[in-house]
Amino acid sequence: MTAAIELENLVIQLGNRIILDRLTGSLSGRCIGLLGPNGSGKSTLINSLLGFYKPLQGSVRIFGKDVQSHLRELRAMIGYMPESDAFIADMSGVRFVRYMAEISGLPASEAMERAHEAFFYVGLGEARYRKLGTYSLGMKQLAKLAQAIAHGPRLVLLDEPTNGLDPEARVRMLELVREIRDTGEVQVLISSHLLRDIEDCCDQVLILKEGRIAALCNLEEERKANLKFLELEVSQGNGFVESVQALGCECAMFGAGRLKIVLPDHIDLRHLYRLATEHSVQIRRMNYRRDSLEDIFLKAMASGTPPPPVPTGSTNGRL
Amino acid sequence: MAVYKRTYKAYRGPLTPSWSRFTVLSRYGFATLFQSRPFTAYTVICMIPFLIGLAFIYVVNSASVRALLNMRGPEMVSINNAWFMGFLGFEAFMTFILTAWGAPGMVSKDFANHSIQLYLSRPLSRAEYLAGKVSVLAALLSLTTWIPALILFFVQASLHGNGWLWQNLWMAGSIIVASLMWIAVVSLLAMALAVWVRWRIAATALLLATFFVLPGVGGVVDAILRTSWGRLFNITYDISMVWAYLFRLGDMQRHAGDWDRVPPWSAWVALLTVCALSLWMLVRRLKAREVERA
Repeated sequence: MTAAIELENLVIQLGNRIILDRLTGSLSGRCIGLLGPNGSGKSTLINSLLGFYKPLQGSVRIFGKDVQSHLRELRAMIGYMPESDAFIADMSGVRFVRYMAEISGLPASEAMERAHEAFFYVGLGEARYRKLGTYSLGMKQLAKLAQAIAHGPRLVLLDEPTNGLDPEARVRMLELVREIRDTGEVQVLISSHLLRDIEDCCDQVLILKEGRIAALCNLEEERKANLKFLELEVSQGNGFVESVQALGCECAMFGAGRLKIVLPDHIDLRHLYRLATEHSVQIRRMNYRRDSLEDIFLKAMASGTPPPPVPTGSTNGRL
Repeated sequence: MAVYKRTYKAYRGPLTPSWSRFTVLSRYGFATLFQSRPFTAYTVICMIPFLIGLAFIYVVNSASVRALLNMRGPEMVSINNAWFMGFLGFEAFMTFILTAWGAPGMVSKDFANHSIQLYLSRPLSRAEYLAGKVSVLAALLSLTTWIPALILFFVQASLHGNGWLWQNLWMAGSIIVASLMWIAVVSLLAMALAVWVRWRIAATALLLATFFVLPGVGGVVDAILRTSWGRLFNITYDISMVWAYLFRLGDMQRHAGDWDRVPPWSAWVALLTVCALSLWMLVRRLKAREVERA
């Protein structure tokens, strides 16, 4: 998939403070997760994508076009769901979404049709003629999603879409995000504090820390790579570890017979069983351990100075 | 696509011209204002002075109707610059109420619930947002000020004849400039106060206070500092000064009271300052609100 967002040495300064510091990376996932602790620059990055902040240095490109010089054109292709409440209280839901779609450039009749469709799509069909001020928090979140997708954007920016939702509404919201992603007609960028939400929906993740990129990785490829990542518990060493390393595997021992092994492509489990037999080693436990997003996130947060962006599909130094 | 097919699809149809996006705001603004029946009724009432003026001009210019009504001489009331200024003054008062009623709600609702960020994340600039909102008021106020006044002007010209039009053509320009000045001052001020307080009722109260309390403040300034400049705080006074100049009634006003204590240019400056300050407040608030923090 082509890169939806390209950051090139992006620096954003607000007042005297550098908020985003030399961000460089290419985001091409169908669903891109934006993670980071409070104040790491997630919302600033989203606002920069919308052209609200001018870069002090560097540039942001969306679909290959510079945001600052193609602002109007790009904004027509973007759907934005802000984190905070954003609605006109005494307007009916469907009228509000139609209004926003018309501002995005849809003719009145098309906007009307798509506003109704969007409301049915997010599951608020029955409530679409009610005034937005009477909606519950969950309904307001869904109405915000409806306005973000009604004009059929190519890129949807969702800022904390599950904020304040009860578990059922959260599941529904994530289902919708996955459905939108799977149509293949749109790329989604989600900013969230919740690792689970990002893990459920995203195939690429950008982790920010203190305004810099702490990690940028492709979760799909991470998952594939982790199929070759083993944890073993064996009875005793007896040269087993050395033999495994001689096969070309990365191997680390953690005492009490616990091993972590990364298998190269040409090595499979039969080779390990054969070596265990040869060295009379009992394999007491074996499991594929998957590096969870939480591991990746904690590793990125733990590092003192943020590392340079990790190339897509790398192992992220799991051992 | 039927609504039961609940799947997402991208839009690939035609888009409206980029320049026309602000008209969406105007259209929805009109629709929202005229959803209120009392507001619609009041707008109709604002047209009544025009009908009365039309009938009056007809009577003044028709000898047979005057005879029928037993009225003496065509000079009983002369349709001249003072008459047109009086007509505009009355309409301005009517439209002030119209503005105080309608304008604050048009923008305060957007600001109260943070929807500005949704407008401005679309292909719509801050200037277009303002143009969309101001155009609603401008159109509404035009329909009740300079448009009926110009119609009356041309009706008078056609009924009177004898070169009245050419002798008084300057008055058409005065009607337009005086009305536009009033429209700019009152609509920008009303919207600026609305975005500042973000509460419709408070914004209306603040607008009324600006017109009815501020002159009192100006009077206090005059009394304490023993000066005449304090009366420039009185927007109605400034407007009257400018209108008197535009309608070439400066001498007449001077005889009527203490009009010449501050020079006419200062009234122009005061009104232009009100417009500039209001615009600055609007742009500043819009810029601050395009990015909201949760």
